[in-house]
Amino acid sequence: MTRSQSLLALSRRYLSTTTTKPTTTAAAAAATATATTPGRHTFCLGRTQTQTPQQQPQCLQRLRHTPPRHPIRSYHSAHHPSPPHEYSNSQTTILSAALRHVPSHGFTRDALTLGARDAGFLDVSVQLLPRGEFDLILFWLASRRGLLRSRVEEDALLQSPQGPLSTDQKVKILVMERLRMNVEVRDKWQDALAVMSLGENIPSSLSELHSLLDDILDLAGDVSVDASWYSKRMALAAVYTSSEFVMTRDESVDLRDTEEFLSRRLADTKAVGEKITGVKQCLGFMGSTAVGLGRSWGLKI
Amino acid sequence: MSSRPVWRSLQTHARRRLVVPETPYRCFSCTRRAQESPKSNDENRMTHFGFQNVPEAQKESLVGAVFSSVASSYDVMNDMMSLGIHRVWKDHFVRSLNPGSALPSRDHDTAGRGWNILDIAGGTGDIAFRMLDHATNINNDQETRVTIADINPEMLAEGQKRSVQTPYYNTDRLSFMQGNAQHMPSIPDNSVDLYTVVFGIRNFTDKQAALNEAFRVLKPGGVFACMEFSKVNNPLLNTAYKQWSFSAIPMIGQLVAGDRDSYQYLVESIEKFPSQEEFRGMIQKAGFMIPGRGYEDLTGGIAAIHKGIKPLSQA
Repeated sequence: MTRSQSLLALSRRYLSTTTTKPTTTAAAAAATATATTPGRHTFCLGRTQTQTPQQQPQCLQRLRHTPPRHPIRSYHSAHHPSPPHEYSNSQTTILSAALRHVPSHGFTRDALTLGARDAGFLDVSVQLLPRGEFDLILFWLASRRGLLRSRVEEDALLQSPQGPLSTDQKVKILVMERLRMNVEVRDKWQDALAVMSLGENIPSSLSELHSLLDDILDLAGDVSVDASWYSKRMALAAVYTSSEFVMTRDESVDLRDTEEFLSRRLADTKAVGEKITGVKQCLGFMGSTAVGLGRSWGLKI
Repeated sequence: MSSRPVWRSLQTHARRRLVVPETPYRCFSCTRRAQESPKSNDENRMTHFGFQNVPEAQKESLVGAVFSSVASSYDVMNDMMSLGIHRVWKDHFVRSLNPGSALPSRDHDTAGRGWNILDIAGGTGDIAFRMLDHATNINNDQETRVTIADINPEMLAEGQKRSVQTPYYNTDRLSFMQGNAQHMPSIPDNSVDLYTVVFGIRNFTDKQAALNEAFRVLKPGGVFACMEFSKVNNPLLNTAYKQWSFSAIPMIGQLVAGDRDSYQYLVESIEKFPSQEEFRGMIQKAGFMIPGRGYEDLTGGIAAIHKGIKPLSQA
């Protein structure tokens, strides 16, 4: 599914760059935006030519969870605008109230019960959440992920006085920001990880992890559409999860130990990547040499 | 495995208070006699009783006859028909509801401590005793109380007999009530935390009316939980299950309880019960919120647990 998603994205992106003709004011604005953020494209591809200012908002409504001031999304989420969560109003009310009890009660049914009481429900009303504490954990993850996006889009987390940051720097800032959100539940987080690793919960946990990494790379401005789309996510998944474990044991001020750990892991990832590239180049060179040598001996290669 | 719930549902119908089964041991002959009797005005509305169609006014007495006839052998038959699986289902049902408050209640809780649980069609107390045990032993809650309601006095008597063996006998945590789930004037509005009906709703004459009544008596935020036979999704399992229920169960009924017709009704009424999705629709129609998918299949869909939550009244 992810593969087709990224391939589809690739073809769509190709379409956008070849068919966009800025004939109307709206299209011109879109084209300007595209030019200022290379590698991004308008969501309503194929409609660009016929768009009028009245039509544009309608088209944007399809992206229910996109803030209106961001009409442009990068490819990976444009076709699957991942909703932060799929809970009903009553469920959200209970879960939000329950999150306030997590630092003291952990990700447990007790926290849910207290949340339900706070929201005016009965103890028995936690039946609204069929997965119990796992729903609470998923809600925590999803809401923190939404918070991370709003930090970037509204609080300008990635604006630096020293000029534009590189993608790697942005990734590091984002991962640290996300880990800092866990500080208040640090003592309870290992329990949550244990619940997430139960067999029946693993698919949802992995899917939520993927959404987070997707968001981080998207926010960091990564627009790769080749095989590195996968390798980057996998590498970041390894780095993020290991940093998460370090965070749960980190007593230092402002998670300094975790930050150092994260820097080392990111450097490792980069070094490994460079090594692999070097080895690939070396093997390619040796291969072409061997082919040339064979041809010089008259082999029909 | 289906047999126990069947028994239970049979009991439920039997509980309806107006029923005085004339011939409690032969339900089908009851049907014939009832059909021969002169018809009253509202008898043109028909409902199903197993695979037969009977006037609505008669279903109650027919079901009452069935359950009166099976009350004494109810437990043995449930075990034999379900091969003991009904115990696993009931334990799972109670555990997933997690009755009882583990946390100390707050001052502003005016409705008293503990949960007020209403177990409809719970004549023999299977579910009620399990819930009280769970509340007491798991959640250390000594306040939660259960009212067992059943339409059939003989099933209630069976439950009262069994309650002597439990620590809740003669305490205010356990009470019995004879009543029709479609109309329970003795229970005030918004007074119940948890409403359960286990293998009972299948036998109700008007299921929607019972759901509406449940909605009325539940507190806002209260939970309706129902375990009932349902539709098996796997064709292979379905074949085996149908074989078992239509061939083996009436025969077991004949051999063990000496009453083939009651058990024939039981398997037919299972066949007639709406599917998971249809019943979920009925719960929603009564006004309940549905958590998640709304139902949980047990043993491939032979039984299913349905839940609904009464929304808080929006001021």
